[in-house]
Amino acid sequence: MPYEFEEILETIRMTEIEHFDIRTVTMGISLRDCHDRNIEVTKQKIYDKILRYGKQHVKLAKEVESQYGISIANKRISVTPISIPFDACNAEEFIEIAKTLDKAAEEIGIDYIAGYSALVQKGMTNGERELIKSIPFALSQTKRVCSSVNIGSTKAGINMDAVMMMAEVIKLTAEKTKDNDSIGCAKLVVFANAVEDNPFVAGAFHGVSEPEIVLNIGISGPGVVLEAIREAGNVDLQQLSEVIKKTIFKITRAGELIGRKVAEKNGIPFGIVDISLAPTPAEGDSIADILKAMGLEDVGAPGTTAALAMLNDSVKKAGLMASSSVGGMSGAFIPVSEDVGMIRAVHAGNLSLEKLEAMTAVCSVGLDMIAVPGDTAVTTIAGIIADEAAIGIINDKTTAVRIIPAYGKKIGDFVDYGGLLGRAPIMEVRTISSAGFVGRGGRIPAPMRSLTN
Amino acid sequence: MKLSEEEVRKITFEAISELEDKATPEAVKELVRRRVESMGGDYKFEKGDASSGRVILTSFGLNHPGIVAGVTKALGDANCDIQDLSQKILGDFFTMIMVIDISASQKDLKEIQEEMNKIAAQLKIKIYLQHEDVFRYMHRI
Repeated sequence: MPYEFEEILETIRMTEIEHFDIRTVTMGISLRDCHDRNIEVTKQKIYDKILRYGKQHVKLAKEVESQYGISIANKRISVTPISIPFDACNAEEFIEIAKTLDKAAEEIGIDYIAGYSALVQKGMTNGERELIKSIPFALSQTKRVCSSVNIGSTKAGINMDAVMMMAEVIKLTAEKTKDNDSIGCAKLVVFANAVEDNPFVAGAFHGVSEPEIVLNIGISGPGVVLEAIREAGNVDLQQLSEVIKKTIFKITRAGELIGRKVAEKNGIPFGIVDISLAPTPAEGDSIADILKAMGLEDVGAPGTTAALAMLNDSVKKAGLMASSSVGGMSGAFIPVSEDVGMIRAVHAGNLSLEKLEAMTAVCSVGLDMIAVPGDTAVTTIAGIIADEAAIGIINDKTTAVRIIPAYGKKIGDFVDYGGLLGRAPIMEVRTISSAGFVGRGGRIPAPMRSLTN
Repeated sequence: MKLSEEEVRKITFEAISELEDKATPEAVKELVRRRVESMGGDYKFEKGDASSGRVILTSFGLNHPGIVAGVTKALGDANCDIQDLSQKILGDFFTMIMVIDISASQKDLKEIQEEMNKIAAQLKIKIYLQHEDVFRYMHRI
């Protein structure tokens, strides 16, 4: 037999019991050739181009799923940040473009399309300002469109004017989608050091240096890591790191295979494997449970940041060895609402916003899917975004804020979206004011770290 | 328009002679694909990849007479070549792993999987069929 009995059973166990799946295969499509002076022609060009490349995306991905017995949870599409090719548009026209993206996504049969985005870390063009203004309306009038805005980078510093604008946009989006627990905010990410080849929606976009078309994939597999750690028993941390690495190596290899096959079937180039450990709301598919299996009573206990740092680092080391195409975020995700263990820890009062913020310094991505009271001040949200961005630019890493000031909700309430977005308890936010600081405007200069030449 | 194997083979030979000494497998494949598409043909190129090479069949469940017979008969009917077989009984539990070559089969992997699902339901066991590559990628460097 070319494979050991145990090896084959290990693979079957991973795919059938431990929720090992490919979290997303994301097709990145450039829309840079779709502009026209007539908005109707622009819309038609966008629609036609997405359909031309994406029409078969779901069908071909499903074929690969059944061929290899590994399920692909999400099939998605990312596009060029909309503000770039369509810079001449005004807010109303941008909303029309959002509706076109929504329609194209529906036609293809995917749940999300991402790239309603702007990159404004250094400053804003008129088109970018219009796009940002349009976000609450675009997200409330569409179902499948996801938006992201990059407000800071290690090279540029933090654009605090954009931070304030985004805080206002988030509040307005929450209000505009109040009938669905402010779901619009779950589709809106504020980045620092955003990456151009991130396959994970909502923050995905097809960066300006990317090719015409590309296929990126994001792996998953917290359940597999969790089982491996449990099985390892009481070993020291160096040995534990080995266990994590071996497991991640295997799932990254499988991930790359699947990505390449889907790309091959579509006849398009393969881009990157994002080796992020992405949880889902399914029981056993949780980063929090991994941290607990490592020996913490619950997430939020002193030691949590260290455990997460080690997990994240082990994931990266193994992923790099397994694939020559590692990219995207590549770390551990800690979205609260999408991880049952995180939800439990917040609910039990063990995990605070401040501890989560500390954790984001050692993992990708940031404060993700955090629900806070609906009456949280705009300046407080701006302060939270600025803190996260500061962690990002100083440490030369990506950070993101996906925060939901759930309209009309208070601490102790829940927002519940079902599906992969899960449910989140409303977390406590300190109410002491950041207004004087964030209200100054301007730009936090680029840090020392930016002068690497 | 549905193209037959014969027609695709003819297009392929034409492509090879046209490309002459530049006829690498990739170039030929690309040219044939373009030709077929321009004719409006819907010949499934991917069938070739899916059914070439080997797949790993894993089955398990409570042990009872007739499992091996049931599975192998269905494979034989589908013209699948069993290249290796390993089987263990742990207590009441039965596990069997086979390496099978389905390239000579008239069915593709998906159809064989559907066939096996029926057998699995009859025998009250689980059967998984996966392309060999996934095991090679995971367990071999």
